[in-house]
Amino acid sequence: MSEEKKKKGGFFGAVKEFVYGVAAHDSARFALKSRASMEHLFILITMGDMLGVPILPPYYSLRLLPYVVPHISTWKRRMLKEKDLTDGLA
Amino acid sequence: MNSVVVLILGLVVAFIGYRFYAKHIDSKIIKSDPKRATPAKMYMDGVEFMPTSKNILFGYQFKSIAGAAPIIGPIIAIQWGWLPALIWILAGTFFIGWVQDYSSAMVAMRNDGASFGGLSHKLISPRARIILLAFIYFYLLLIAGAFGNVVVSTTIALKAAPMAWLFLTVGGILAGQMIYRWRKDIILTTIVTVVIAMAGIWFGSIAPSDSIIGASLANSRWVWAIAAFVFCYFAAVLPIWRFALPINYVASYIVFLGLFFGIIGIFILHPDFTLPAYTGFSIAIGPIWPIMFVTIACGAISGWHSIVSSSGTARQLENELDARPVGGGVMFIEMMLALFALIIAGTIYASSAEYGAAIAKGPGGIFAAGVSKFLGAIGMPAALGRSYGSVMMIVLAITIMQLVIRFMRVATSELLSDVSPVFRNPHIGTFIACVLGMVLVMTGWWQYLWVLFGGANQLMASLALLLVTAWLMSEGKSAAWAFWPMIFMFITTIAALLYTSYNLLIKVISGAVKGEALIGNTLMGLVGLFLVVAALILGSEGMKALKRYRSITKTQAAAAAKA
Repeated sequence: MSEEKKKKGGFFGAVKEFVYGVAAHDSARFALKSRASMEHLFILITMGDMLGVPILPPYYSLRLLPYVVPHISTWKRRMLKEKDLTDGLA
Repeated sequence: MNSVVVLILGLVVAFIGYRFYAKHIDSKIIKSDPKRATPAKMYMDGVEFMPTSKNILFGYQFKSIAGAAPIIGPIIAIQWGWLPALIWILAGTFFIGWVQDYSSAMVAMRNDGASFGGLSHKLISPRARIILLAFIYFYLLLIAGAFGNVVVSTTIALKAAPMAWLFLTVGGILAGQMIYRWRKDIILTTIVTVVIAMAGIWFGSIAPSDSIIGASLANSRWVWAIAAFVFCYFAAVLPIWRFALPINYVASYIVFLGLFFGIIGIFILHPDFTLPAYTGFSIAIGPIWPIMFVTIACGAISGWHSIVSSSGTARQLENELDARPVGGGVMFIEMMLALFALIIAGTIYASSAEYGAAIAKGPGGIFAAGVSKFLGAIGMPAALGRSYGSVMMIVLAITIMQLVIRFMRVATSELLSDVSPVFRNPHIGTFIACVLGMVLVMTGWWQYLWVLFGGANQLMASLALLLVTAWLMSEGKSAAWAFWPMIFMFITTIAALLYTSYNLLIKVISGAVKGEALIGNTLMGLVGLFLVVAALILGSEGMKALKRYRSITKTQAAAAAKA
C-alpha cells in the first residue's frame, strides 16, 4: 500500500515538475543568472586582486572577505571561463 | 487514411525509436554511466551549472524547442501531399532528429559543459568558431524574419488575434510585476494573469481588429510588422523578468491547454485525410527534394534544438542516463506536435482548392481553423476556437522571435564591439536586429523566407552533427549513426539554399522583380549564399578534423597491435 502511495505521489510529482519545467524553470534560471552577474561584479570590484585586478584598498576587501568566501570558487570559475555567443543562447 | 492511424503510427515510431534505437546508442556506443559526475555536479554554481530533475528538464526542453516551426512546416509541406510529409516527419525524427538532440547534449556534457563555440574551437579549428558565430547571426536573422512573417500574416488573416495578443501582453507584464515586485503568490498570479489572457481571447472574438481600428489599418502589414518588432524591442532591452519571461510564462498555459484539448478533439472526431496523399514531385516553391526536407524543419530535425541541448540542458543534467529521455524523448514529443499540425492541414479542408485559398493567406489561418474544429469537439464555440488558435500561433512565433532579437543584440555586441564601442549599446544592437528583421518581413515572400529559414535551421543541425561526429571519432567510438545523417542533411540543405538563392537572385538579375520584392529577393538571396559559403568552409574544416582523428585512431591501433 505504501509502495502504491509512493508511486502515485511519484507520478503527480513528475507531472508537477514537468509543468514547472514548461512554465517557470526558465524564469528561475534567468533570475538566478541576473543575481549571480550582480554578485560576481560586486566580488570583482571588492576582491579583484584575487584575479590580478586590484581595485579597492585591502582594508575593505578584508572586512568583506568572510561574506565572499563561500562564493569564491564559483566566482573564479565564471570569471575566468572562456565564453562566447553560444554560451548565452539557452 | 484516418487521423487516429497517423497518431498511432507516430506513437509506434516513437516507442521503437526511444526504447530500442536510442537505448542501443545510449548504452552500447555512448556508454552512459550513472556514476560519472556530470558538469552540473562538477561545476555546480547554482546558476548555469545546476543538477536538475529530469522531469523539470523534460518540460524545460519541450518548452524551449516547441515553437511555431513544427506546426507551420507540415502545414506548408502538405502541398506535396500528406504522405511524403508523414514519411519525412517519422523517418527524419527516427534516424536524425533525436540523434542530434541527444548527442548534442551528450557531447557538451562529456566536454565540461562547453557550448558549440568552444566545442568547434576544440574539436575542429579556431577558424571554425568564428565562422560558426557569424553563421548563427544570420541564422537568427532568418528566424526573426520567418516568424515575424507568421505573426503579421496571422494578425491580418484573423482579426481576433490582435486583441488576444494585447491582453496576453498585459497579463504577462502584470505577472512579472506581481511575482517580482509585489511578491504575490505564484498560484494567485497564475490564475489572475491566465484569466486576463483568456478574457483577451474571448474579447478578440467579439471585437475584431477591423471593427476597432478600421479595415485599412487592420489589413496593413506595416502596422503589424511594427507592432511585432516594437514588442521584440521591449523584450530585448527591458530586464528579462519585466517583459519577455512573464509573457512566456502566461503564454505557456495557453499553448499547453490548447494542444492538450486539441489532441483529445482529434481522438473524438477522428477525421479522415481529405487532401491527396501525393500531388507531384515539383510544386510552386520547388521540388520535393531538397525543398520539402527543409520546409518541415523542427518536426523532423532542427538545429535550434542542438543549441538548447548543448548550451542549456547539458549543464543541468544530474545523471548521464537522463540525456536519453530529455534529449531524445522530447524530440519524439515534438514529432507528435508535427503530426498534430499535419492532421489539421490534411483533414479540415474538403478539397485542394480550398486548402490552396487558405494557405495563400498564410499558415496561421489554417492552424486556427484546425484548433477551432478540434476544440469544438469538446464544446468550444467556433469563433472562440479560431480566436484561441490565432493567439496560439502568435504566441508560438513571437516567444521565439523575442528571444532571437535578444540574442542578436548580444551577438552584435560580441562580433562588432571591437570595430566600434557603439555596438556595445543594447539599443543599437536591438535596433539593427529589428530593422533587418523588418526588412525581411516587409519585402520577402513568406514561403521563400520559410524555406530559407528551414535551410539555415537544418544546416545548423548538420553542423551540430559534424561536431558530434568529430567528438565520437576523437574518442574512438563508432560514428556512422551521426556521420551519415550529417552528410544527408549537409547535402540536402546546401542544395535547398542554393536552389532558393538562385531563384531569388535570378529574378533580381533578370529584372523580373521591382520595388519591395527587389530588396527582399536581394537580401534573402545574399543571406542564403552567405550561409552556403560559411557552411562549406565549416564543412571543409570539419572534414580535415575528421581525417585527422581517423589517422590518429589508425596510428593508435597500429601501435596497440605492435605492442
